[in-house]
Amino acid sequence: MHGTISRWYAALLYLLAWLMLGLATSALLAAGGAGWGASLLFAVPLAIVYANATAFSAYYVCRAYPIRQKHPAAIVGGIGMTAACAAALWCAIGSAWAALLREFAPSGMFLELDAARLLTMFALGVILYGLAAAVNYLLIEAERVRRLETQELETRLMAQDAELRMLRTQVDPHFLFNSLNSISALTSIDPAAARAMTLRLADFFRHSLGMHADRKVPLERELALVRDFLAIEQVRFGERLRFDAEATPEACACLVPPMLLQPLVENAVKHGIGQLIEPGTIRIRAQRAGSLLRIVVENDVDPDAVPARGAGVGLENVRRRLAAAYGIDASAHWGREEHLFRVELALPAETGDIEAKQEA
Amino acid sequence: MRVIIVDDELLARAVLREHLAAYPDVDIVGECANGFEAVKAIAELAPDLVFLDIQMPKLDGFEVVELAAAKAQYVFVTAYDQFALRAFEVHALDYLLKPFSRERLEQALAHARARLGSPQALAVASGAVAAAQEAAQRRTPLERILIRDGARVQVIPAAQIDYIEAQDDYVQVVAAGKGWLKSQRLAELEEQLDPGAFLRVHRSYIVSLAAIERIDPSGKDGHCAVLRGGARIPVSRSGYQKLKELMR
Repeated sequence: MHGTISRWYAALLYLLAWLMLGLATSALLAAGGAGWGASLLFAVPLAIVYANATAFSAYYVCRAYPIRQKHPAAIVGGIGMTAACAAALWCAIGSAWAALLREFAPSGMFLELDAARLLTMFALGVILYGLAAAVNYLLIEAERVRRLETQELETRLMAQDAELRMLRTQVDPHFLFNSLNSISALTSIDPAAARAMTLRLADFFRHSLGMHADRKVPLERELALVRDFLAIEQVRFGERLRFDAEATPEACACLVPPMLLQPLVENAVKHGIGQLIEPGTIRIRAQRAGSLLRIVVENDVDPDAVPARGAGVGLENVRRRLAAAYGIDASAHWGREEHLFRVELALPAETGDIEAKQEA
Repeated sequence: MRVIIVDDELLARAVLREHLAAYPDVDIVGECANGFEAVKAIAELAPDLVFLDIQMPKLDGFEVVELAAAKAQYVFVTAYDQFALRAFEVHALDYLLKPFSRERLEQALAHARARLGSPQALAVASGAVAAAQEAAQRRTPLERILIRDGARVQVIPAAQIDYIEAQDDYVQVVAAGKGWLKSQRLAELEEQLDPGAFLRVHRSYIVSLAAIERIDPSGKDGHCAVLRGGARIPVSRSGYQKLKELMR
């Protein structure tokens, strides 16, 4: 429950329910021939007393007999015994209350607690206790389900976060070490270019480290990360790597899961351009079509090259991440035609008003 | 010392060239940007030492060693490759991790100089070939067969192969009506090919299942496989059993 206030509401509702029960019992007594005043004076306080007693004890009894772990017979026996004890105690209090009323209440405001009424009271006590136990079991079960749901949500969030962390560290170690090697070469050939490359590398890692799994980013930012990455790879590959991105302003404003395109572009460099002797191009097209955001990433491939192993893992990863974020509303398809490898993504076009406001 | 530098990245070649310029006994006779060029250059220029990148277009460093064979000493250069590193350690091969220091390069050069012209050089070269064979094992099932044809490299996709025939120490790979010789044992090739696509039907023959058009009886209770293109491949009794099991 949420804090003390809802707890107070719950307690109040609970007492109200028992007050109604007290009134109902009074009505039954009155119907049985006792006067209305006497019935109310007798039954309502007793109902409230019993409410408090069962409220405290039934909860613990239910905890002591967990419905999933104990044998049903044990539960029925345990609850039954406690209910009988509670009802007997209630009857004793009832007798004392009746005696007290007879002594001090004005005539006509008390009733005789004969054997028949006492027996009814006992039976009612047992039944009400049973009812309280049932309600408690229900509440416990509801709470358990709620806790399981939160737990599941938490683990899912944690898994997402872990996956992103993995993706981040999965930024190919080749990329880092080869880049450092390029810098090592540039320091004597072209120190200014070496410095520029260090800065680009820093930018790329700063951007990718700043992303959170649960926070989608505007496509624009993801494209900026991809540009950083490819600018670094262009230093390595020189003329061999060409890059061309076309994204409409509406598409750029759409939100996408972080690091969605980065692995695709990394694949395109490693398995596409990296295997080509001639220059090759990586093309990204993004446009919004109504409620859909369509992104195409394609790259030239060596028509002789056998499909690379390991490339499929990254693609499956992207598909899984889309499915986790959007369910069946998103799709990822890929295929190779002769000298072109193409990945097509379609996902719901979400625009982040909150993010836009923050940036404005 | 005649040296060839093989790397697909201009800057990676530049850094090696710059470092090597400091050694008067080192003569850079060639620079290659891909595996095909490397195989050709190693065959034609007969270098003493090759600095060889692992990840390259067309052929990777191990495939270059497999094709160029044990004529030169190799120093492998790689950025990051756990499998390759283990192979280098196992076969006591020299390697440089990018980015590398001048000292590390000097060490590798000193090793190569010391072994130059000695029988040790041969042992190291055969270690490189062994590492290349292990790399080929890791790539199984084989998706293409590489064959050196003089200074040229022939790449035959596994899907185009009709059959492979054992001939003494060689195998003849037949694809699209043409045959190429490769020095490898048939049993070794059989292990590397996809068992779902190729079958050893005879002591001397492996056929592509996709290439079989029909099985004909031949001679007294013998059989032969008729392939697309009309080639008739003898099928041994155990080969016939294996074929029958596949067809069931």
